[in-house]
Amino acid sequence: MADDTIKLTVDGQEIEAKPGQTIIQAAQDADIYIPYLCYFPGMKPYGACRMCVVSTEAGGRKGVQASCTTPVMADMIVETSSEEVVELRRGITDLLMSEHPHGCLTCHRAELCGPQDICQRHVAVTDRCTICPKNERCELKDTVRFMKLDLTSSLDYHRRDLPIHTDDPFYDRDYNLCIVCVRCVRACDEVRGDSALSMVSRSGVALVGTSHGTSLLESGCEFCGACIDACPTGALVERDYKWEKASTKVKTVCTNCPVGCEFVMDINDINKVVRMTGDLSGEASHGQACFKGKFGYDYPNHVRRLKYPMVRVDGELQRTTWEVALEAASQGLLQHLPEERGVILSPRGTNEDHYVGQKFARTVLGTNNVDTGLNRSAELLAALAAAPGHGAATNPIWGIENSKCVLVVAGNPTEEQNVLAVPVKKAVRAGANLIVIDPRETELTRYATNWLRPRPGTEITLLGGLARVILDEALEDKDFVRDRLDGVDEFKKAIWSFDLMRVSQITGVSEDEIRSAARAYGNGSPASLLHGTDGIVAGDHADLLAAVMNLALMTGNIGCAGGGVYPLYSGANTQGGNDVGAAPNLLPGYRSVSSNSDRDVISSSVGGTYPQRPGKSVRDMVAGDGIKALIVLADGWNPDVAGMTTNGLVNPGFMVVSDAFMSDTASRADVVFPAATYAEVSGTITNLERRVQKVNPGLELRHEEREGWRTLADLANVMGGSGFGYETSSEVFEEIRKVVPDYAGLTHARIEGRGIQSPARDETSNGTGILFSSEERLSVVPMAIREPVSLPNREYPFTLGHGRVLLRPEEDVQVVRDERSMNYIERDTLIEIHPEDAADLDVSEGDRVAINAQQDSSASPLPDFGYVRLSSPHRGFVSVTTLFAEVVTGIQDSGDIDISPSVKGLPLRHVSLAKAPILREAGMAAD
Amino acid sequence: MSVAFSELRQKADAEWLSLTAGDKPWVRVGLGTSGEAAGAEEAFHAITESLGLDANVTLVGSMGLCYAEPLIDVQLPGGARVFYANLGADEVADVVGGHIKSGRANADRAFAWHGDERPEGLGAVTRLSELPTVRVQTRLATKLAGDIDPRDLSQYIANGGYSALEKALEDMDPAGVLDEVKNSGLRGRGGAAFPTGVKWGFLAPNPEPVKYILCNCEEGDPGAFNDKGILESCPHTLLEGLILAGYATNSSNGFIFIRQGHTLPIENSRKAVQDAYAAGLLGQNILGSDFSYDVEIALTGDSYVAGEETALMEAIEGKRSMPRYRPPFPAAAGLWGKPSNINNVKTLAYAPTIIQNGADAFKSVGIESTSGTAILCITGAVNRPGMYEIPMGSLTVREVVEDVAGGIKDGKNMKLFQAGGPLFGPIGEEGFDSPIDFDSIAKTTGSLGSGGLIIGDEDVCAVNLTRNLMAFNQFESCGKCFPCRLGMTHMVETLERISQNVGREDDLALMERMGASMRMGSLCGHGQLGYNPVASALKYFEADFRSHMDDKKCPTGACGEGQMVTPSRTRP
Repeated sequence: MADDTIKLTVDGQEIEAKPGQTIIQAAQDADIYIPYLCYFPGMKPYGACRMCVVSTEAGGRKGVQASCTTPVMADMIVETSSEEVVELRRGITDLLMSEHPHGCLTCHRAELCGPQDICQRHVAVTDRCTICPKNERCELKDTVRFMKLDLTSSLDYHRRDLPIHTDDPFYDRDYNLCIVCVRCVRACDEVRGDSALSMVSRSGVALVGTSHGTSLLESGCEFCGACIDACPTGALVERDYKWEKASTKVKTVCTNCPVGCEFVMDINDINKVVRMTGDLSGEASHGQACFKGKFGYDYPNHVRRLKYPMVRVDGELQRTTWEVALEAASQGLLQHLPEERGVILSPRGTNEDHYVGQKFARTVLGTNNVDTGLNRSAELLAALAAAPGHGAATNPIWGIENSKCVLVVAGNPTEEQNVLAVPVKKAVRAGANLIVIDPRETELTRYATNWLRPRPGTEITLLGGLARVILDEALEDKDFVRDRLDGVDEFKKAIWSFDLMRVSQITGVSEDEIRSAARAYGNGSPASLLHGTDGIVAGDHADLLAAVMNLALMTGNIGCAGGGVYPLYSGANTQGGNDVGAAPNLLPGYRSVSSNSDRDVISSSVGGTYPQRPGKSVRDMVAGDGIKALIVLADGWNPDVAGMTTNGLVNPGFMVVSDAFMSDTASRADVVFPAATYAEVSGTITNLERRVQKVNPGLELRHEEREGWRTLADLANVMGGSGFGYETSSEVFEEIRKVVPDYAGLTHARIEGRGIQSPARDETSNGTGILFSSEERLSVVPMAIREPVSLPNREYPFTLGHGRVLLRPEEDVQVVRDERSMNYIERDTLIEIHPEDAADLDVSEGDRVAINAQQDSSASPLPDFGYVRLSSPHRGFVSVTTLFAEVVTGIQDSGDIDISPSVKGLPLRHVSLAKAPILREAGMAAD
Repeated sequence: MSVAFSELRQKADAEWLSLTAGDKPWVRVGLGTSGEAAGAEEAFHAITESLGLDANVTLVGSMGLCYAEPLIDVQLPGGARVFYANLGADEVADVVGGHIKSGRANADRAFAWHGDERPEGLGAVTRLSELPTVRVQTRLATKLAGDIDPRDLSQYIANGGYSALEKALEDMDPAGVLDEVKNSGLRGRGGAAFPTGVKWGFLAPNPEPVKYILCNCEEGDPGAFNDKGILESCPHTLLEGLILAGYATNSSNGFIFIRQGHTLPIENSRKAVQDAYAAGLLGQNILGSDFSYDVEIALTGDSYVAGEETALMEAIEGKRSMPRYRPPFPAAAGLWGKPSNINNVKTLAYAPTIIQNGADAFKSVGIESTSGTAILCITGAVNRPGMYEIPMGSLTVREVVEDVAGGIKDGKNMKLFQAGGPLFGPIGEEGFDSPIDFDSIAKTTGSLGSGGLIIGDEDVCAVNLTRNLMAFNQFESCGKCFPCRLGMTHMVETLERISQNVGREDDLALMERMGASMRMGSLCGHGQLGYNPVASALKYFEADFRSHMDDKKCPTGACGEGQMVTPSRTRP
């Protein structure tokens, strides 16, 4: 290690650098500041602003170099503020300020004035820093001050007077403030792989803009905010809370999806969360975000937050005290038998919430009816319990960057687990093959080298087909199979039933396509495999998991860097919920409720009596299956979006809900507790790569809201439970450590900042990035080819795959402005129909058909009409692809306070089609 | 000689013989871009269509004698070539037709003759090689310009083309070719004058299987047209050089990078590459040897900076052509991250003669510090503009202007010359006696650059010329690095002010300060050299500036008072 460090001298100080580092990186690591504007950590050097110039002397040669692009050399002598470089920086900054508004920078009152103050120096409003949304955070301002510029240059100042773009969702673009550092374009292109932004024109008029000069909606923008976070000036800013200043900044973790992106949360001086900025030091997100985390953060501020407990009196929910409400809840619950009671925990809940939730259900309510609030079936839970690693991702998120092949099956990570797709796109750009198995067109299919579109419901058979080709062509990892795997013979025997011609007939995917994908995966080691459950019926979840594991194991892609399997969960803390036992069949630490010894371990460690009979999954509980009393921690839980049948919630016998808002669920409850949100709680969540992360409170609780675990513990105490005397979430976590061996080495203090990937079994452990990297033996399990089951549906005879992408150049898109001058997408949808189905419907290419869909409240809205394209690969299957921009404008319109849980998914739909008159030419927008 | 090449050679010789000494006269019409502008194409059509002559009529490239265009010559079978200068379409029937029908040259219109024996009746007409514009020339890279059809591979081969390649493949190993180029003292003709052999030597030992030789024909300098001239008149010279460079450096691919809009060079090089593939001079196992090499033509849109070597690579990769930072240098990681070498058209066009005739023969031309020739493009206020290939260091600027280019138009006096492209400024009287070679011109504030030489007479105002140069530089800045994007803009605005007599007292100091930021701070040569024109103009013609600033008037009237030209592309 010591051998490959490079020693150099910066400003007289000897520092050590790693080979390949640039001067600025080495200096930053040694806490030596060199000003910069176009450089941005995590992106390739660009070398445009020349602000980071330094004097260098190496190998007897002196020079002035940009420190962001010049690699360190042994014995190099660097001066960061020699006279020549200071003069050079000043010269360049003078030029820069000649077209950047900077009126307040020469004023002694700069720190004292606010945006509304009267200026006595007659500086035009548009030239003042105080009215700039980034006034407090402007990197250009910091740079100017660092250089102690007097700003008395005789260069003429020109204001650009460009129109400000405020007509797109979420953020404003004011190119009058742009310094053309091109960080935004590079973030969009290099980091996100989207290329929605681009440089525009050249020479003095060079600027940044959208790729084709269009609105953001048409540009392929995914509204991830990476460009905003990278912008050093006020050119790109979030529209909401645009001018708000942070009085506190708190590091925390987003609770909208299982990626667990780390953010810096800005809190203003009136206790509101006003901004979320991706934390560049974040291990899970590397500073990246998606529209949910970046723009869907401010519901804790909302005036309609529930402030006080309520109980139903004469059919009306009325404000009361915690004491009364807890008593009412207790009485109501006690009126039902243990097996009639259930607890549903918020998908956003912390590990502490989940742990206390399961303990409460089991030791106080006497039932195993406890689950996290997602669409989880008993079958899936059983499969997870049995799977190696209990279905957790075996490898770290950013390990995917190094994969040579990525296979994504039945999932849409760009929308559901957005930042997980960033390393996928990066791997593809670095030359990896991407195989997408999905009948829908998703954003990743645009990047795919192999897009297999199986007939819906035949994904497992298709995966078996891939395994067959891998065995036929001897692409398996022979050493791994020999040394690590059990059950290989039975597996191989079972795979012979996957005759490729038959697989092709069943799935509707050609043999060549299957072979090509199998070769890409089999030859693409290390290969990662991302698997969701979109379009897979609950009964098949276990088989899908088995098929996925078989494929990864046979090719030796378990236990190696760049390989692995990644489940695509939807809830933010599903992994943690499972880990701490918030599941009807699992006790903390993946112990089985049915096992006497497992129950004994728990009760002897933390007390209480644990019931034996496995409980009901959330899906069964909300379906009203024998449940008469429910407690729901509902923060951000939307059973509609999870696609569950909610009879149980319409008329539960008795329901207690803890929520931040008067949601549909809360409005049906008998007792309502006001809940604290992510911005107010301290606790931990565990992301999909098993990273236990610290959620930190930035807001003070204003009224009587309580955290989920506290609400349940308080209720337990009222109901006579013992072992619920927790004062803080960290006390809860201390108890979790005792019963969850994988967390034994973790404490709130240890995971602060970067989090630690479980298992971390003792306090010396820095966690486990890659599971199964040692010599433990694993099993492949036999699988069987299955004939497709088609349930004839007379009313809605077609299955529709609803895809969604950022860009679809083959379809005309028009942007219209509404009365508020906001941009909206207007477009004609193409509907893919099989030629034979089209013949039956008496329609041909370009005809217009009406799409009539079966009600599904969990689904994104479908267009009413589509123009026929005879390209569906399967009879009975049709597909449409809509644009992500429509989701964004939909959010804008919906008025939803908490946007993330209300973004609907893309489940398979049942539709009927009918020929419709052509009202206008295909491809032409309406007047 | 390899079987493959001897077959090519025999076929070519036979065709050439039938053209020069067959049964028909051969009429050659010089058509470069300059000829085209002068009406050569119309003249060609007039000959082929309206006259219906029993003759071979061929479009050849320009000889470089631009002042004489359209330049058309008639060669009766086995006879000498008789040249007619400035021959428009309206005269060809009379002059060319008359010559062929009568078998006698038109002595009144004849401009020169070329051959073994003076044609009858041309007693007063000069031999081509005796023309003042020709006698000073030693044509190495432009040897066949105007003699052959640029789109006919056989004509090139019949005149010795591809013999160097054949010699290299048959008799020399790559190291031998590299040594020959090293020993020749050849320096890069793109302007930087870096020793070509040394540059190739960076690439040759790299074991990477894919390596690129990029030929740069962006040639966007106003007043430079020798790269285009070579591709217009004899693209195979360049192609042969490019293949030799590939062989010498063990490279796998070559690219000829041409700016979109250079129509003739693009068409000619495409045809050349196509024909070379068909003849087995490109592709797998060239001429039956073990050497395989592929060449493509790559184009870019209008962008001067695309001629910067790393911006050029970006452009070929299909990206916005903006320079990259260095390191890594192209020889380590260039086009698509592979080791690459970039050479100017002229540089590569010398390779065949170096290999064919040896390094010593090449070194015998020119001077010790710079061997070979300078291919000058003389434009501006001279009587005989054109492209002249003269030995390095053989003439001074004054001699070239007076003796070769025929002096200044209308008997006026020479005030300045501007050489090396728009990033260099005007040079006054003190520089006129500077010999034309890299090092001597560099001792002035100029550069020989790629050979463009613009001559200004006494009517030129140095402020106006500088403003023009800077307007070009500003317009062509790629917009990436801050000093160039912003500095160029302010610079051109300041010059605009001065030229309109509304300059401010500190404007000169302001430009100097911006110039320093640009020189030290810019990412590529475009910005680093961006202040040169102003610095040079101030050195030689401060009086012009003072006249504008102190007396509020243009010294020559060229600035057109009250005609402020608002430059485009200054600010968004």
